[in-house]
Formats: sequence, structure tokens, C-alpha cells
Amino acid sequence: MTGPQQQHMATPPGRGIFDPALLDRCISCGFCLPACPTYAVSKNEASSPRGRITLMRALETGRLDEDDPRLREESSFCLGCRACEPVCPAGVQYGDLLEEWRDHQWRGRRRPPPAQALMMIAERTALLRMMGLVRRHARTAAPAQTSLMLGCFERGLFPGVSRAVRTLLPDIAVPPHQGCCGALHAHNGESEKGRELARTLGETLPGTIVTTAGGCAAHLAGVLGRDRVQELSEHLAKTGATPVGEVKIEGRRARVAIQDSCHLRNGLRVFAEPRALISAVADFVPVQGDDSCCGSAGTYSLLRPRDSKRILAPKLDAYEAAGVDYVVTVNPGCQRQLHGNLRRRGSAVHAVHLADLLAAAAGGRPLPRGRRWRVPQVRVNLRRRLRRRGASGGTAGWSA
Amino acid sequence: MTLDRKLVAELKAIVGADHVRTEAGDVEPYARDATPVFRAVPDAVVWPAETEQVAAVLRLATERRVPVVPRGAGSNLCAATVPERGGIVLVLTRMDRVLEISPGELLARVEAGVPTSVLADAAAAQGLLYAPDPGSRTVSTVGGNVATCAGGLRGLKYGVTRNYVLGTTAVLPTGEVIHTGGRLWKDVAGYDLTRLLTGSEGTLGVLTELTVALLPMPATTNTGVAYFGSLADAGRAVDAIIGDGIVPATLEFLDAKCIGAVEEYANLGLRLDAGALLLFGDDGPEDVVDRNLGRIGEQCTDSGALEVTLAENIARSEALLTARRCALPALSRLGTLTLLEDATVPRPRLAAMVDRIDEIADRHEVPMATFGHAGDGNLHPTCVVDQRDEAAIHRAHEAFGDVFAAAIEMDGTITGEHGVGAAKLPYLEARLGADQMALLRRIKAAFDPAGILNPGKLGS
Repeated sequence: MTGPQQQHMATPPGRGIFDPALLDRCISCGFCLPACPTYAVSKNEASSPRGRITLMRALETGRLDEDDPRLREESSFCLGCRACEPVCPAGVQYGDLLEEWRDHQWRGRRRPPPAQALMMIAERTALLRMMGLVRRHARTAAPAQTSLMLGCFERGLFPGVSRAVRTLLPDIAVPPHQGCCGALHAHNGESEKGRELARTLGETLPGTIVTTAGGCAAHLAGVLGRDRVQELSEHLAKTGATPVGEVKIEGRRARVAIQDSCHLRNGLRVFAEPRALISAVADFVPVQGDDSCCGSAGTYSLLRPRDSKRILAPKLDAYEAAGVDYVVTVNPGCQRQLHGNLRRRGSAVHAVHLADLLAAAAGGRPLPRGRRWRVPQVRVNLRRRLRRRGASGGTAGWSA
Repeated sequence: MTLDRKLVAELKAIVGADHVRTEAGDVEPYARDATPVFRAVPDAVVWPAETEQVAAVLRLATERRVPVVPRGAGSNLCAATVPERGGIVLVLTRMDRVLEISPGELLARVEAGVPTSVLADAAAAQGLLYAPDPGSRTVSTVGGNVATCAGGLRGLKYGVTRNYVLGTTAVLPTGEVIHTGGRLWKDVAGYDLTRLLTGSEGTLGVLTELTVALLPMPATTNTGVAYFGSLADAGRAVDAIIGDGIVPATLEFLDAKCIGAVEEYANLGLRLDAGALLLFGDDGPEDVVDRNLGRIGEQCTDSGALEVTLAENIARSEALLTARRCALPALSRLGTLTLLEDATVPRPRLAAMVDRIDEIADRHEVPMATFGHAGDGNLHPTCVVDQRDEAAIHRAHEAFGDVFAAAIEMDGTITGEHGVGAAKLPYLEARLGADQMALLRRIKAAFDPAGILNPGKLGS
């Protein structure tokens, strides 16, 4: 028989994996369910923020252990987009809980090898510097009130972004010898190393740190303090710099949508600023779902390519249906995800970083245009191997 | 109990292998709903996609005597979906299609797993209003709302979920599919099974499809706030407003502790020095709304309000209502275990009941905040304690026992809108009496001879 007897049971002490103050915040009201992209595709509580917190509690109390296939699966199926945080009236800091979970769940050999490899590269500042040299990102060591963070992989993948920022902010310092901010580590089970890298970067870069990566901005702000760090659109809004010129296509203003950076939106609550900047130089087109995760989610698109595409596909459909010319990104991961997958579709829509859009409006490097050739999908064996590894917990946990 | 392999294989044959889960980590998230403390692990979780699959699962369960607990979004606050005796949790969230919105007939037909706000939005797109407005509308499902007869912020003027259910498709525990009611406002053929299933908390049948009534969308809505020195003053104002012949759409109250918690979360600039806040709102033609809100304001002032303000625009009005909906989770920030009840008394006894709650809280030395629906006497005394403090949890439950007794004494009830579930079953007999309890059991047995559907709840 249940009833009052059962009700008097208090919570037993835990294993110390999680900060109890964080775990206790959740009252299981379920307000997070409609905001969660993985719950939307799975309709499974285990793949929702509330369900994952229930799993974390089971891990903490020892009802389930870290070898439980569902725990393994959910710790990696979660995008870590933190869309559950702004909608949580109880103030659960889900992003922090996820970091603590992965610190434990992904320790040592349990860490996904691709994530491990990326972290090892990102820790080698000399290597990053060389990559940047080859790719000719912006540089200047002249001292200034503000410094531009180059990002560990952005400087190699999209060196044009930092050059575009230099045309927008000629006085900004861009020291070439700077390392990774550590967001990569924080999100992949190495949160202490992630904080250490952020502190080191904080010492390397003088003054206010401006970044073109929303994910890095949120992580740096969490470690160095909110007032030390500004994402590009936030910095432009704060300094009152009005965008110059406009982006035109065949005589009309370009139609431009946005893909929010999840941690920028949900962590730092910055989303009005980039929209205002776009509206100043082009016709801003709101698209349903432009505020939800694109599936890049840091290392997610590498670790779970199939799920990543499943999250992305309806979003690309929406951008194409809206008939926009460009989708603006404010984070290199999103840029890579959208750029690559739009190209593969042979889409007429191009993904461009906000800095590129603003620089082009001011008369800088013109943006790519027009429909591209469809790139045939190349099946890489590695991907199947990764999937098999990732799926030992079973992606089949989905009921939809 | 654990399910034998043959049964699991049969379940998989019915709904597909991907939609049956039995592993420890897979069933753990379905051990609880939004009710604190209650927790019981199911043996299997099953996600059907259509009525026929639900029927096949229930036939099988009756044959094998396996408990089945139907579940929507699991946002209920009475442990109605906690599988007290294990067995199968039957999750209806895959059945999420809006089948029809009929502006000509003013009705909608939906599958049970459609979120309430999705139905409301689909109706609004055609200029129609789905009136029931439970606080968890973005999360909860229409099937869950009907199964618990959910209330909400518009109850005073518009009633609750039961006033809008025209028909259901329900699967009986023995596997028969019945269609109760239909598309008609007038239909007295037979016992009103639609009403009986509404609020039956998944103990009589599994609702798979609902036909609900819609209303024309009111032209405008507006909201105002009145502050009072005490909840008793606010209670007098409520009497005066209704006495003046006004039935506003919304009439909600928060006590001082709730005002503080909500303000900390929502930053609306609420007055923190007030003893109580009355949130009032109405909808309809613009001139009527203006006139009604004006008169409500006057009645509040006459009843000793410290201050009365009207929302200057729709955004502010929405923000006030949203803040009220978030009162519970906002309060939860004060501690680690939030115990909430929903004792309800006749409207004129509201102020007296609030005084009794304060007295009971003091006597048991527990911190208790109260908010709720002033218009329909529905109170939400809420106790926030430390979840590791066993003595405090015990005192809180003793206090709630006294709150229920006080409510019944005042011709009230132990639950106005949250339901009985497992949480309030021990108190139900005090409200209904032995004869009604016995009748409930006979009704339950007529629907569910094997006693497999949500056992340990209503009718058990």
C-alpha cells in the first residue's frame, strides 16, 4: 500500500557525481519537453531533459550504473543545446549538469575517440598557430582595448571570418599566438581542462574578448565572467557601431535568415542583436525553427552524423521554402554544418557568417551566389564504424 | 514482477519492436510524473500509434493480468501515471494528430497525444478558442487533460475541461473500442459515459480520440493587478466583484511569499510589500472588457486595495498570466522539495480557508505559501522544504491532512483540479463516504473486471 508511509521517505545521499544543488532544482514539471529537439524526434522521455535528469539521479543514487546502455546512449544523444534552460521556471542549469554527467560518463576509455582526437589537437597551441599561418587568418599584435578570439578550428576552417572582422573593427587586436577556449573540452567530459584553457586564453588576450563563435562566448563568459566576453553582434550593438551599406542581389535587398547559436541564445540570451544587424543591411526573414539547434552541436555532427542530419533536415527544408538567399550563422560549428549540407543539396541558399555579411554590405569581399552543383553523397566507412560504436547503446531507443 | 519473454514478444508484434522497452534505463524515466516523491518503476514502456494497437495491448494485458497505466505527457500532480503496481506504461504521445477543426460545427477532433497548446493554436488559426487553459498547456496532452478533467486560469467564466468534451473514443480494458457522445451538443441516449470517462484518471478506459467544443475567439483580452494588505481583503474583493454581477475570465490570487518568488523569476515589477495580489482579466468585445475591468478595479478599491493597475498592452497582459502559470516552479526555487495541494472551498469561504491554512501551517511549523484560482475557490497551498529533512516532510504531510479536513468541513473538496491519483487516494473516503467509495469500486469492476487498468488509484 502506498500513501502517507511512502511519502515520508527522504532522498538518500548520493555518489558525488553531481552537485546536489543542481540536481535538486528539477521538479519534473515537464515544461522542458516541448523545447527539446531530441524529444521532438523520439517522443521518448528518456531523450528529454526531464528524463535525462531522472537518469542522472538514478546514476547518482546508484540505481543505474554508468554501463547502463540507456545512460551511455542519452549522454551522447543529447545535443547539449540548452534549449531547455530558458523555458525552465525552476531555473535548472541543465548545461552544467550535462558537463558533470559527461565528466563521469565519458571518463578515460569511455570518451568517444573522435572527440578525444579533436581535444588533443585543440590543446596544441603551436599547431593551431601553424594552421592559422597556412590559412592566413587576420593578425595584428598591436595592443588594444579589445582582442579578437580566433577560435581553435575557426581560424583554419573559415579564416575569412577573422579578416572580415578586421574590416569591421580596424582597431581590434588579433594576437596570433592564442589557444583553444576549452568549450570543446567542457562539452566532451573534460570540464576542468576546459576551465583551465579558458583561464589561459583570458591571460593571453588583453581587455574585452570579442568572439565570432557563440559557443566559445558562452563557455568563456562562464569561466572568465560575463563582462569580459562579447560575441561579435553583442560587441557591435554595445559599441553602437551602425552597419554600413547593404547586401543586394539583382538590384533588390538580399533576403536573409538566421541560424541562432544555441549557447549564445540559451546560455547568454543573445539573439536580438544579430537580427538587428541583419535587418540593417538586408531583408531579415524570420524562419520557423531558426532558434533551435542545427545538429552541429560541437562534436555532435562527427559523433552522431545520422542524428545530426535528422535534426538538420527539416530546418534546411524550412530555409529553402522561405526562399532566402542567405542563412547567417554566428558560430563556426553551425557555419560548417549549414554550409556543407546546403552545398550537398545543391541548394540556392548559402550559409554565411554574420561578419562576412556585414563586411560584404560595407563593400568588402562579395558573398557566394546562385544554385550550386549537387555534390553526390560520399559514403565514408569511418562513419559507419563510428555509428556502430555509438549505437552499442542503441539508437533504436526511439519510438518514432 | 517482471514480464515474461513471450508477453514482451507479443507486445512487440503489436506495436513494433522499436516501441516496446523493458531495460532498466529505458523504463526509469517513466517511474514518475510531475508529482514529487511518488516513484514506481514499470516493467515495460509501450508506445502505440493507433487505437487498434491500444485495444490489442489491453486485450493481452487483461488475459495475462498485467497492470497497464496510460500516460500522456506525465505533467499531472497527483501521481496518476505512476505505475504503483509495475506492469506496462502505455504512452500515447505518438498519437499526436489534429484530425479535424470544424469552424461550422465549432468543434475539433484530435488524437489523445496532441499537446493542449497545439490544439489551441490550431483552433486559433481558424479564429476559434479552445477554452480550457491548464497551467501546463504547452506540455500536457488533450487526452491527459480529459482523463484528469484539467482546470486552469479561465475556469470561472468558461468552466473546465469537462465542459468542452463532446465525445471520446475509448478502449476498454477488455479490448472493446467504444465511441461515447460525438459531434452533438444535445444527445441524451444512454448514461453520460463521456462525463464518466472525463476525470476517470485512466482507470476505466484508455482515451485515444477526443471531440471537443470550440468557441469563437473573443475580440480582445486584458488583464489587471490589484494589491491588498492581506488575503482576507482580496477575498472580500472577490465576493464584491461577483456580487456586482461580473464573471471575469480570470481571477487569480498570490500571497506575499508567492509574489516574492514570481517576481524573482519574472522581473515584472510586482509590489513586494503587499500581502496579496489579485490578478483579474476578461475577454470579449473591447468596450465590454474595458467596462468590466473598470468595475472590477472599483470593487477592489472599495474593498481596500492598496493599488489597482491595468496592463497597458497585450504583451504585459500575457506576461502577467505567464508569471501566474509559473508560480509553482518559481516557488520551487525556495527549497528542494515542493509539495503542492489543491484543496477547494465554496467561493465565499475563500478568505476563511486561507486563514485556516495559515493557522495550520503555523501549528505544524511548516512554511506554506498559497496561490490559486480565487474565482472558483481553488487554492494551491504549497510547502517548500528540504528533501533530505525527513521530519519537515512528515510535518508537511500532517499539515496537508489538516488542510483537507478543513476544506471538507467547509463544504469543500480535497482536490479541485489536480485529481486523486495515488497521491490523494488515502483521503478520498473522507470526502466521498463509504457508500460512494463502494459504488466507485463497482463501476470500476464493471469496466475493468480483471482490475488491470491503473490499479491502486481511483476505484481501487
